[in-house]
Amino acid sequence: MYGWHLRILRVNLTTHQVTKEDVDPKIARDYLGGRGLAIHYLYKEVDPTVDPLSPGNKLIFATGPLTATPAPTGNRYMVVTKSPLTGALAHSNSGGEFPTWMKRTGFDLYIFEGRSPEPVYLFVNEDQVEVRSAAHVWGKDTHETTDILKAETSEEARVACIGPAGENLALMAAIMNDKHRAAARSGVGAVMGSKNLKAVVAMGNKNPALHDAEAMRSISVETSKNVGADVKKGSNMRIYGTSYVPQVTNTLGILPTRNFLQGTFEHVHNVDGDALKNQYLIRHTPCYRCPLSCGRLTEVPDGPYKGKGEGPEYETISSLGTGCGVSNLAALVKANYLCNEYGMDTITTGMTIAAAMEMYEKGYIPEEVIGMPLKFGDHDAMIEMIKKMAYNEGFGKDLAQGSYRLCEKYGHPEIAVTTRKQEFPGYDPRGSQGMGLLYATSNKGASHMEGDVAYEEVFGVPVKENPLTTEGKPELVKHFEDSFALMDSSGVCVFVGIRYMFNKDRMILPQTLANMMNLSTGAEYSPEEALKAAERVYNLERMFLLKAGSTEDTLPHRMLHEPLPDGPAKGKVVELDKMLPEFYKVRGWDEKGWPTKEKLEELGLPLN
Amino acid sequence: MLIRIKMIANYRDALPPHHKHGVIELEVPEGTTVYEAISRFDIPLNDESVIVLNGLTVDMTTPLTEGDMVTAFSAIAGG
Repeated sequence: MYGWHLRILRVNLTTHQVTKEDVDPKIARDYLGGRGLAIHYLYKEVDPTVDPLSPGNKLIFATGPLTATPAPTGNRYMVVTKSPLTGALAHSNSGGEFPTWMKRTGFDLYIFEGRSPEPVYLFVNEDQVEVRSAAHVWGKDTHETTDILKAETSEEARVACIGPAGENLALMAAIMNDKHRAAARSGVGAVMGSKNLKAVVAMGNKNPALHDAEAMRSISVETSKNVGADVKKGSNMRIYGTSYVPQVTNTLGILPTRNFLQGTFEHVHNVDGDALKNQYLIRHTPCYRCPLSCGRLTEVPDGPYKGKGEGPEYETISSLGTGCGVSNLAALVKANYLCNEYGMDTITTGMTIAAAMEMYEKGYIPEEVIGMPLKFGDHDAMIEMIKKMAYNEGFGKDLAQGSYRLCEKYGHPEIAVTTRKQEFPGYDPRGSQGMGLLYATSNKGASHMEGDVAYEEVFGVPVKENPLTTEGKPELVKHFEDSFALMDSSGVCVFVGIRYMFNKDRMILPQTLANMMNLSTGAEYSPEEALKAAERVYNLERMFLLKAGSTEDTLPHRMLHEPLPDGPAKGKVVELDKMLPEFYKVRGWDEKGWPTKEKLEELGLPLN
Repeated sequence: MLIRIKMIANYRDALPPHHKHGVIELEVPEGTTVYEAISRFDIPLNDESVIVLNGLTVDMTTPLTEGDMVTAFSAIAGG
């Protein structure tokens, strides 16, 4: 078989025993790889009701059949586990270089189980696999850890690791790779920390064999040329990365502002792409084999927020920036650097601080509990809170539990803007109804990366859809969810995938992507069949979270009962009741949202 | 009547240099449509662009009224 190695590395952290296993080629084909193959193993091996931070949970690193191939952006991996933040499923995606290096060790998946008695890291150089002491890097941030582990192994190696936030089991802890890239969401870093696994260091030369290498090269060159043509025309993604988006969402009135109390930010020009480009941008930084190159290397050259690193991207601007009412760009950039170094998801970090700011301003959390005033817009207090969260100090212990548990503890859970206890990303769904349905039903709690219909509702890709209407949104959300499950399973980045690997018709088919997967694996997927496999993945994930007890598809109070007070979507709430029953029908689920027997049979999924 | 044109990110290059944060004011005749106003600027008027009126999705033949804001941005990439 090609494309996939069809090999798994299983690491029992309790005993430090390592085993190498084969993957059934039919299972690989049915579940695609990456996110899909990972849920197959998680569902088979982990009790959905397990305590996510106990040794019974498993942590899966998963590459796809296009990872480490010539496919443009074939540089992704997924981290799949049961989430300690949501109690449901976590599947977090990252690019950079580590995922390609991991695939080149000759394994598609690493499965970590148990809990090491002491801090360790895993070193993999093809068949040389060692569980080594991490005592000397425990407590260090992600940048220091990466430098030390590369120095003691090889400069040719690439590192994924946790920082202090993961060690301290903060529920917004990320797994950082290549210093600046994050498998960020749902607390995957806390699961890694609970296993006393500080880092994974990977290197090797085992590129996957390809079914038709020549044709694969040819289609990859052609796709890269299409991206390159747009870059030449002046693609915003190359010039600004995603930092141009605040102006777009502000125009539509869906820019999260002050914990979603507003949909527009009066100081948006202080924190937008032009401000970043003019003040702190050094250059763009691509992931491996990416012709788009949306990463930003930035530097604050002097002053109290002096530093150098990557970001901020849009989701960081809309959480730590506008979400907290912060308009000081240097402080926002510094906050992003700190999150990367401590290993934290900027969305949950920012929106948890935003919720705490609202709680403080309304008098629900007194100053003596926090240790300082915490008003919207206070960028120094925001930075202080990030440090306290990462190190579990004082009020940071409450913050490290995420906004839902924080607001619930102090008596006002309605202040938390979460679904399945995970914080909303940067699109207020009151002015983007399809996003509301997505957040309510997402397998991983609120997330744009679960099926980002903002592509149509906001960005007009491939066509512009009115964001304020509900008609047709159930079909649109299902299609995007399945399409994203396909991209996440294949190993490509959605930024390039959705635009350049799908047909541009109204209901887009993954013509180029399916073609690439066939040239990689020889599996002969039709585009429809590839999407059907993705639907299989999505439904198996759904079964996992339902069995975990996460059965309620709803939205927080603010989204259903507090109309937006400003902007073009003024007066709107999410009309979830108009979309949800239809969505269940479109999905082939019963009226309570469980996949029907017929749907499970159609997809070849287990009936219990 | 006076309307406003807002260009986001790379489309700002299509504005005269005196714009403020990508916004300019523009004098147009009564009855001018969204399409007529935006077509004065050198941006692609096809599926590569998203054009909204006061932040709302509207038909391009919608006539403008005093104080309206027409915003354009590139649809080439997502967010």
